[in-house]
Amino acid sequence: MINVLYLDDELHNLTAFRAAFRRDFHVHVTTEPTEAVRILREQPIEVIISDQKMPTLSGVEFFELIMPDFPDPVRMLLTGHADIDAVIDAINKGRIYQYIAKPWNESELKAMVIEASMLFHQRKAVATEGEVLLSKMQEARAMALKIQRATDQAQALSAEQAAEINRNAQNINRLLAN
Amino acid sequence: MTRLTLIQRLVIVCFRFAAVVCTLVASFSLQAQNFIGTRLEHLPEGFDSQLLDVEAVAEADSWVAFDQLVPNLGLGEEVQWMRLTLDPRTENGKLIEIQNAGIDDLTCYMICDGKIIASYPGGIMNSASERHQFGTYPSFPIPLVECDRLHALFRMQSNKPMIVPLRISGPRKVLEDAHQRNILFAIYAGVMLAMLLYNFFLFLSIGDRSYLHYVLFIFSVGGAQLALNGYGTIFGVDHWPWMNLRLIHLFGVFSGLTTIVFVQNFLRLSRYVPWLNKLLNVYFLLYLVALALALVGRLEWSYQLINFCAAAIFFFIPGTIITMRKGYSPAKYFLLAFTVFIFAVVIFVLKDSGVIPYNSWTFYALPLGSAIEMVVLSLALASRINQLKKESVQAREEQLRVSQLNEQMVREQNTVLEERVAKRTEALENANTTMKDTLEDLQSAQQQLIQSEKLASIGQLTAGIAHELNNPINFVASSAQSLRRDFEDLNQVVNELKAMDPADPGLADRMSMVKEMFGKLDIEFTQKEIEELLNGIEDGTKRTSEIVRGLRIFSRMDGDNFTLAHINELIESTLIVLRSNLKDHTVVEANLGEDLPQLSCQPGRLNQVFMNIITNASQSMESAGLSVEESKVLISSRKVDSIGQSWIEVRIKDHGAGMSEGVKAQIFDPFFTTKAVGEGTGLGLSIVRGILSDHNAEVEVDTDEGVGTEFIIRFPL
Repeated sequence: MINVLYLDDELHNLTAFRAAFRRDFHVHVTTEPTEAVRILREQPIEVIISDQKMPTLSGVEFFELIMPDFPDPVRMLLTGHADIDAVIDAINKGRIYQYIAKPWNESELKAMVIEASMLFHQRKAVATEGEVLLSKMQEARAMALKIQRATDQAQALSAEQAAEINRNAQNINRLLAN
Repeated sequence: MTRLTLIQRLVIVCFRFAAVVCTLVASFSLQAQNFIGTRLEHLPEGFDSQLLDVEAVAEADSWVAFDQLVPNLGLGEEVQWMRLTLDPRTENGKLIEIQNAGIDDLTCYMICDGKIIASYPGGIMNSASERHQFGTYPSFPIPLVECDRLHALFRMQSNKPMIVPLRISGPRKVLEDAHQRNILFAIYAGVMLAMLLYNFFLFLSIGDRSYLHYVLFIFSVGGAQLALNGYGTIFGVDHWPWMNLRLIHLFGVFSGLTTIVFVQNFLRLSRYVPWLNKLLNVYFLLYLVALALALVGRLEWSYQLINFCAAAIFFFIPGTIITMRKGYSPAKYFLLAFTVFIFAVVIFVLKDSGVIPYNSWTFYALPLGSAIEMVVLSLALASRINQLKKESVQAREEQLRVSQLNEQMVREQNTVLEERVAKRTEALENANTTMKDTLEDLQSAQQQLIQSEKLASIGQLTAGIAHELNNPINFVASSAQSLRRDFEDLNQVVNELKAMDPADPGLADRMSMVKEMFGKLDIEFTQKEIEELLNGIEDGTKRTSEIVRGLRIFSRMDGDNFTLAHINELIESTLIVLRSNLKDHTVVEANLGEDLPQLSCQPGRLNQVFMNIITNASQSMESAGLSVEESKVLISSRKVDSIGQSWIEVRIKDHGAGMSEGVKAQIFDPFFTTKAVGEGTGLGLSIVRGILSDHNAEVEVDTDEGVGTEFIIRFPL
C-alpha cells in the first residue's frame, strides 16, 4: 500500500481524507508540521500532500524545510485559492509534483497519488540502477588499474631484460674484440 | 476779407515811402547849408580858464581857429569856450544859430570891445522859455552896436558829443528853416504816431504781444529821434532841467531795451538763434547799467555805453539771416528794415565822429532811416501775422491730420484689440472646455480609482472568502462520499444481520462470518469515523452559513443608505470576511462591548472602513517581521458617555512598525502609500476618512514608531 502523508490545519479535512483513502492507501494525517516530520522519519512515506494556508507556516515553506532530509517523497500542494505567487514558489522552492485545488475530486486525487507513487518508485529504481552502474564502473576502473599495473611491471621487466641482453652483447663484443 | 498779394502790399508801402522821402528830400534841398566853423576859434588844450572871468577869456591871446566847417569838440564834460569874431557892420541884426539842440549848458556872450554887452542862455539846462532859440536850435541875435571888435563868446558844457554846426543867417532864413524842420519832424512824428496807434490797435484787437513791443519800440525810437533833435519839449518835461539833461539818454536806453525785446520776440530768437538771444540779454543788462548811470548823473559814461550798446544792432543782420534761412519769412522784411536803419546809424555815427561831413543828409539820415525802418517793420509784423495765421492753419491741419491719424490708429487698435479679445475669449473658452473635460476625466478617474479600490478590496475579499468557503465545502463533500462508503460497509453487515434467522441452523456460522466482517471492514473504526465525518459535515455547514451571513452583513445591499445597525455585527462580519486573509499571520482579539445602541450609519461603507484599518494593521505587523503569536490586532468597542454627549468608540490597535510624524501627517492624503509600487493604491485611508466624515465621526491616530498604531474612531450618537 502506498504510504501517504497529509498535512493540514483543518482537522475535518484530515478526517475526510482519511475516510476517503484509507481503503486504498496507507494514510498518515496530522495538523502539526513537527508531527509530520516525525512521521516522515518513522514511515516510508512516498507521497506528501500539504495544505498551503496554515497558521504557523505555509505548505511551500514546509516542503522547503524538509527538502534536505527527505528529498525523495513526491510532493503535492493542496490549496483553497490559487494565488499565483504561491504557485511560483511551490514550483521553484517546494519542487512540487502536483498542484491540487480544493475541493478535491476524490478519483482524480486518487489517480494523482498513485501516479506520484509510481514516479517515486521509478526515481528510486533509476537511483538504484545508477548505483549498480556506478559500482560496476568502479569495479571496471579497479580492474583497469590492476591491468595497468601489470602492464607497467611487464614493461619494466622487459626493459631490464633488454639491458641485460645489451650488456651481454657488449660483453660478447668485448670478448670478441679481445 | 481780400488778401493783398505781397507785390501789391509792397507797392503801397513804396508809395508811402515815396511820399515821406520826397518831402524830406525837398526840405533838404531847400535848406542851404552854410556853416562857418572855420571862423570859429577855440582855446588850445590845457588852457586854464577857470580862474578867469568871461571878458579875460575873450581877450586871451591863444585863440586858435578851427579848420572844419562844423567843429566837433567830441565828448567831455569840461567847459569849452569858442569865439566867433563878428563883423559889426555887416552882421549885426542877424542871428547866430547853432544847429545842435543837445548842448546841455550853453551861454552866448556878446562882447563889444572887450565888454560883455549881452549874454544869452541856450542850453537845455535852461527851460525853453529862458532859452534863446528859434525852432529847436539855440539862436542868438547879433546886437546892433557900434564896435571895433565884436565877438560872440560861447561857453559850453555837455555830456554829449559837442558838435557845433554854426551859421549866421538872417532871422527870416532861420525862421524858414526852423519851420521847415518843424514840418519835417511833424511828418516824422506823424508817421511814428500813426504807426504807433495803428499797431497799438492791432495789439488791442489781435493781442499779439509783439505788437505791443513794436509800439513801445516805435515810441522809444521816435522819441529818441525827437529828443535828439530838440523836440523833447513835446514830452512836457521842458521845465524840468534834470529830465531835459537826461532825456536823450533815457530815450536811448529805452529804445535799446524795446528794440532788444522786440527783436527777440519778433525773430523768435530763443528758438531760431539761441546764442543771439543770450547775447541780447547781455545787452539788455548793459542798457540797464546805462540807465542807472544816467540816473546817478554819470551822463557821459551812460552816453558812451548807449553808443557801445547800439553796436548790438550789427548782430541783427546775421541773426535775421539765420532766422530767414530757417524758413521764417517775416525775417526778410526785418532784414531790410534793419539794413536801412543800420545804414542810417552808421552815417549818424560817422557824422558824429567827424569822418563824414555834417550836412543835412547826414543829419537827417537817422530819422529817415528810422522812419523807413518803422514802416518796413510794420510790414514785417503784418507778414508775421500772416505767417502766424498760416502756421496756425497748418498747425490746425496738422492737428486735424494727427487726430484723424489717431482716430484711424485707435480704430485699427480697436479692431486689433477686438480680434485679440475674441481670440482670448476663444482661447479661454477652449481652456475652459479643456478644463471641464479634464475635470470630468479627473472625476471619472477618481470614480474609477475609488471603484478599483473597492474592486481591490472585493478581490481581496473574494480570495479570502473563496478559501474560507473551500475548506468546509471540501470536507463536507469529501465526507459525504466517505460516509456513503462507510454506510455501504455498514449496510453489508446490516444486510448480513437482516438475513439471519434464529431458526437457521447455520446461524452460528453466519454469526462468525459477521464477526469476521466486523473485523475485516473495521466497523468499529467506521462507526467512529462516521461520527467524525458527521461532526465535520455539521461543523462545515455551520461555518458555511456563518460565512454567508457575515458576507451578507458585510455587503449589505442597503450599505450606502443610512440605516440603524449594530456596530459589533459589522465588525464581526468584517472579521469573518477577513479571517482567511488574516489567519496565516495575524491573531485578532476582539473585545466588543455589550449592549451597544444601534448606530445610524452606512453599514456597507463602515465595513470598508474596518476592513481597511484591520488589513493595514495586519500588514504592518507582517512587514515588521513578527511571529503569528506576536501579531495581535486588538479590536474593542464601547459606549462612552460624557457631559451632554455620548458616542461609540471603536479602537483598532496593532503592534506593528508604527509611523513617523511625517508619515502620520500624510496617511489620509489620497495616493499616499508606504507600500511597494503596485501593492496599494494609496486610496484606502483617504476613502476611510471620507466615509468617517460622512458619519461625522472623529478619527484619532495614536502611533509610535517601532511600537504600534492605534486608530480610535468615535461615532457620535
